[in-house]
Amino acid sequence: MKIINRVILQNFKRFESFDTPLNQTLNIFIGDNESGKSSILEAIDIALSGSRSKVETIGISNLLNKNAVRAFFDAGKHYAQLPKMIIEVYLNDTGNSDLNGDNNLLGINSDGLSLICEPNIQFSKDIKTVLEQDGENFPYEFYSISFKTFDDRSYSGFNKYFNHVLLDNSQINNEYATKSYVKKLFHGNADVASRSVFENQYRGLKKHFQHDILGELNDGLPYQFAIKSNSKSNLETDITITEEDIEIENRGKGRQCFIKTDFALDKSKIALDTVLLEEPENHLSHNYTLQLIDSIKATGDKQVFIATHSNMIAARLGLKECIMLNSSGTNSIRLNDIDETSSRFFMKAPDNNVLQFVMSPKVILVEGDAEFILMESFFQRIIGVEPHQLNIHIISVGGKTFKRYLDLARNLNIRIAVITDNDGTYDKNIDHNYREYISPNWLISADQNDDRYTFEVSLYHDNEDICDELFGPGRTKLTVLEYMLQNKAECAFRLLEEKAEELVIPEYIQKAIAWISA
Amino acid sequence: MDKRLILAVAGSGKTTHILNQLDEDKRHLIVTYTRENIRNLKSGIEKKFNCFPENIKLYSFFEFLYSFCYKPFLGKIDKPNGLYWDFPPKFTRNMPEHVPLHFFTKDRRIYHNRLSKYLIRKELLDRINTRIEKYFDHFHIDEVQDFGGYDFDLLMHFSMLNLRVNWVGDFFQHTYDTSRDANKNKSLHSSLDRYLNRFSSVGIIIDQDSLLKSRRCPKAVTDFITEHLGIVIETHKYEPANVQFIDDPARVEEIALDNTIIKLFYQNHNKYHCYSGNWGKVKGADHFQDVCVVLNGTSLNLFKKGKLQESASLTKNKLYVACSRANGNLYLIPENLMEKYKI
Repeated sequence: MKIINRVILQNFKRFESFDTPLNQTLNIFIGDNESGKSSILEAIDIALSGSRSKVETIGISNLLNKNAVRAFFDAGKHYAQLPKMIIEVYLNDTGNSDLNGDNNLLGINSDGLSLICEPNIQFSKDIKTVLEQDGENFPYEFYSISFKTFDDRSYSGFNKYFNHVLLDNSQINNEYATKSYVKKLFHGNADVASRSVFENQYRGLKKHFQHDILGELNDGLPYQFAIKSNSKSNLETDITITEEDIEIENRGKGRQCFIKTDFALDKSKIALDTVLLEEPENHLSHNYTLQLIDSIKATGDKQVFIATHSNMIAARLGLKECIMLNSSGTNSIRLNDIDETSSRFFMKAPDNNVLQFVMSPKVILVEGDAEFILMESFFQRIIGVEPHQLNIHIISVGGKTFKRYLDLARNLNIRIAVITDNDGTYDKNIDHNYREYISPNWLISADQNDDRYTFEVSLYHDNEDICDELFGPGRTKLTVLEYMLQNKAECAFRLLEEKAEELVIPEYIQKAIAWISA
Repeated sequence: MDKRLILAVAGSGKTTHILNQLDEDKRHLIVTYTRENIRNLKSGIEKKFNCFPENIKLYSFFEFLYSFCYKPFLGKIDKPNGLYWDFPPKFTRNMPEHVPLHFFTKDRRIYHNRLSKYLIRKELLDRINTRIEKYFDHFHIDEVQDFGGYDFDLLMHFSMLNLRVNWVGDFFQHTYDTSRDANKNKSLHSSLDRYLNRFSSVGIIIDQDSLLKSRRCPKAVTDFITEHLGIVIETHKYEPANVQFIDDPARVEEIALDNTIIKLFYQNHNKYHCYSGNWGKVKGADHFQDVCVVLNGTSLNLFKKGKLQESASLTKNKLYVACSRANGNLYLIPENLMEKYKI
């Protein structure tokens, strides 16, 4: 099995420099829009393909990091400082000496592939001329594209060392993408020898058709009708994939996406080393997404790379396999040092906001729906703006699972306010319970009065008149407080709808909101 | 691990010997020098396996040196533009070794005869050995006798490899050095004993028996070589053949015009209008039936006195290469009778 251990990028798209170690089987890139998830898949795809035309089609001007170009002009346009763009893919020991050597940015002995785009020395005079012109004209046209293994050997699509496929479900309507996908899979399932046999037999069948079926028609005609057989019509141009006799192009988008991904991951026969999945959740229903997750989990013999926004995919495949990118920095954070139980917890937990959590700089964690419903309004009243305007997210964790989130956040530098209940004994349930969760980044906030043991009790004590007015009428058996405790979310919603501006906000909540906004 | 220098005589089947050791299980590395030998080995391998198996890598020596030993380590740093096949200009000799121009031309081509020296100076020999050990189980080095200069030091370093290494060659077919450079290993080939000692002193077993007899040259030819050149060579081939000195212009003309008989010259064979080659350059070739060796002035004199073995060492070796090409008859003719075919 060929495995990518590490990827280093230099001046590639948004990454001025980027370096991440990778997991052996599964790598899930998570991050906001513009954080570069897709760029990493693209970089791997380009390096593995060894395809110049791929690079030319995208255009070096779209690949070379904009800041590097800016810095080049700001530093006075010196030829020697023209930026290079480099993609390096480090591999495990493949046993192929063609791939092995020291020719990489780290200068270490490893198997690997690289793409280097740099000014072509042959054109240095032309580049000089371009640079001497006034204004900011960057000599993209004079950049060379060279694919080299770490043993300093050029390679191309023809002698590529990897069999891989990049699946981008957002391109589902692109005929070319579908064609090249089918071709990849065909190549993966049939080796060169059997492909040429198929090709040959296909041509034979066409000949037969021409002779036996069209023969009668052609009889006596001055010119003959025939079946085309050339580079534009042959087995590979005509072949497609069907499911239950229906061509893949004619299935619904969701099913198409599912089939493509599932087939690429299939391990019965296919000789793919690497599968790159770009937002596989696109077009997929909840149910299909779950099935897809099962297929991904079952793929033990290929290395899979996924770029995703989906909580479900990230959490269910395991947060340990996640590599997080943020849109501000160019560093990646691997979640692989999360302890095993926490990772399993998030795998089993309801499909929650775990991605939102790990990607937020500041988070308020609350216990349940009632707190969640009111929290945004509380925030707005205290701080004067919506929480998301300060990049603060409110997440309801559903019960007392705060510690799992805090464990997850240990290395992530997230500022977290936990708003919780003392459940009758502040000392035991808060002080003692969270004694190992002390960090300047974290605040555990609960009512210090043991009588005010839960959110509704505190809320009721601070707002007796309002609550009695809203919920008093019609009470026969239950007190107002008992009613509130039994209908938490419903009461919270009515308070929000009718009395949001008048409510007195319990002090421990005020404290937490002020702290997180500071 | 078996490390062995196998001394062969001309036509004793060196290529066959190497081919016999190849299989589809072990990873074999074969390095040879002449183009002729690359061709012979390649077609031999293809014949034997009906394909060119992936576990066998066949390199010409400089290709091996450049792309297997050098580029994987320093390609990115040096950005070389290939090998430079001429000898370096004199001024480079006095240049200190840390100056790139000692090793590289101005357009960054590396002097072929200094590449080994460069690898030694860059302390890469151990890493090269590690790389060979990683990718191969059995290392065959052909045409050993032609390794000279720093290349010979590299060759000796291979004795430390932790895998089977066979060096195969014919001391007397030494007609040039892969890398002549100043005085480096200059006296290496001055005597057979001295040469063998270089191998045995690093623990390499010397095998002078396996390839002692020629399968190509008939007895008449091997006797001639033994008697006139003083190079002991035996044969398996007892079929009738002649060795003849011919100075009758009519018969010389007959031979000159016969396109089944190759005319081998001391040098500049392409100045003659006939089917021809140079003595040293036909090394490795096995397809000539009758061979005509054209004796230049010096050689002719020595031959007439029965003192051919007193020829200059390289000349004698080239003559040996030329004579031992014969699968059949060997003719010797004076060069001056070939004047009329000069272009």
